[in-house]
Amino acid sequence: MMSQTGHVLSQLLEGKFICQVTDEEAWRFLKRRENADKLEPHLNLLNRTLTSAADGEVFFAAYLSLGDDERKVLQNQFQETTSALVPLVEWLVLVQQASEADMPVTMGSAIRLNELQSVIEDTPAYAEQLEKISRYRLFNSTSVNLDGQLKQVFRRLTDMGYLIKPNQDKQIYLATGRIEHLYDMLKFIDETESLSLSEQAEAAISQGNLL
Amino acid sequence: MSQALVEAGGKLLNALGRHSELIMQAYLTGHVNEQVYSKKVLDQLVQLQVLWRPDPQSSLRLKAAVRTLLEGSLQDERNRTINANIGASLASLKTLTEHYKEALHYSRFNEAHAHMTDLTEHVYQLTESLANSVRVMFSRINNEFGYVASVEAKIRENELAQSQVSELLTQLECFRFDELSELAGSNRELRQLLVVALQQNFSKAAQELAVAQARLLDLLGRFREFQGRTRLLKGFLLHMEQQPDFAPGNYANLSGVPVLFNQSADLLGDAHVDVNNVGQENEHYQIIAALTDIQRRKETTVPQASAADIDVSEQESVALDKAPIQLAVEAYFCDVIDSGQPCSALTYYAQKSLTFDPEAWIYQVIGGYQALDEQDKQFFALDTTGQTDPTFSGNFYINDITLGLR
Repeated sequence: MMSQTGHVLSQLLEGKFICQVTDEEAWRFLKRRENADKLEPHLNLLNRTLTSAADGEVFFAAYLSLGDDERKVLQNQFQETTSALVPLVEWLVLVQQASEADMPVTMGSAIRLNELQSVIEDTPAYAEQLEKISRYRLFNSTSVNLDGQLKQVFRRLTDMGYLIKPNQDKQIYLATGRIEHLYDMLKFIDETESLSLSEQAEAAISQGNLL
Repeated sequence: MSQALVEAGGKLLNALGRHSELIMQAYLTGHVNEQVYSKKVLDQLVQLQVLWRPDPQSSLRLKAAVRTLLEGSLQDERNRTINANIGASLASLKTLTEHYKEALHYSRFNEAHAHMTDLTEHVYQLTESLANSVRVMFSRINNEFGYVASVEAKIRENELAQSQVSELLTQLECFRFDELSELAGSNRELRQLLVVALQQNFSKAAQELAVAQARLLDLLGRFREFQGRTRLLKGFLLHMEQQPDFAPGNYANLSGVPVLFNQSADLLGDAHVDVNNVGQENEHYQIIAALTDIQRRKETTVPQASAADIDVSEQESVALDKAPIQLAVEAYFCDVIDSGQPCSALTYYAQKSLTFDPEAWIYQVIGGYQALDEQDKQFFALDTTGQTDPTFSGNFYINDITLGLR
């Protein structure tokens, strides 16, 4: 049997994101300062350090010092991330629009696949959008029917750790802390590249209103 | 006088009960569908002040008093009005107290009693309306303004609720307990009403309102966060539409990589088995026992037979040929019938010099006898000759059998 410390450490070393939704016990463990301090030397030994994002909602392991090898890994990762941004954001917008409450997907949001599917089926524009999203290389669906596309997209998102399925028999998915990490990355890109995305969106909305 | 009042009240309540369907329909849709109900009924309800017509063109609507009654009793969340007019109520309380004190002073006890009842009613009404306002506020907070769909609408609702809370709080400041206590003087009943009852409710309401205000601010923050996120997502898509070749700078190349993009690769692989570890021997055995050995057979390739024409015109009749031993048994049975004398199987065997194995012959004879149907069996008797086993009781060795006619 592994102690809680060992469990959390191995999760971190496996490159997993730890948040309240994926593993509440581990998350609470990391929230305590002394526990985090206890882990840090172990991580440092392997050139890693404990990092958090989204105001301490998500924990993951980052490199302590960056050599050439580490940079290569990070660059690959970065390429993947940036190429995944558009499909992910389009998916987020689709889910938000198709859900009745018009609430953005955040950590802990429950997505009921059946409800989502029936809304998308009833709205041709959403179905078209889903088809487009599922064709991205990130999701890589070859299915021609809506059911297969939706299932493939959700399966991939679960594999990548953006969603988890708490009960294997039920088609209900929960958004994990990785979604928060994604928002953080978007915010970071927005600020660093001075894109002023919110202002663009607002301008577009007000123009829509004028028309 | 009071009898007339009771009667009128009963009439009103009866009317409400009788036309409950109409009233509920009006409550839900906001107006009465006049085509459906008879004019007489509608006129009666108008006369009883249940329905009214705001102006000649508009349709009949429920009176505010009835609506408030329904909203209060049904705890309907659509009830968004909050009666904040505490100042006026307080003023009327003061006036009534003066009346009461004056009546007492002149020893007009009947009058004083009437004023007291009135005053009690007013105080409780005030406390009830306070409690109700707070309850309404909380029910709206608790379902996060679920009755409106969009985040923008929620934000507007939240702002309305905040203004109502601050309005209520300023109204609560109208309570001046020093004045009230001075007004009540040394009268026990007045003190009970004006100081104790009011003060308890006041502090409760003030406390709950403070909590409500904090929750509202909290919610507003969350709604704004949602709004911000939605804008961020939509803005990003818009940006990508306008500049499809946009790529963020390669942050991994910066000298200080931002924390968000510094994510270490996975490190842990699976461990391997240590067969020299005696402590784990048991587990290893279990694992091996649980292994399923898959043996794949080499596929034998059957050359596909070429299709042949099947002649379906004539089918040969199939006859079941009896084995020679069976025919011999039948002959033996016939011989017994013909001769009418019992004959042992082996004797017959010797007579006809049959070539089967003698044991098989005896078995076949027994089998042949058993195979006869019940009726035919009646004609024959089968007798066995042999000896019992010298050692084990219950075992009987058959040497020969004799078949005879009954």
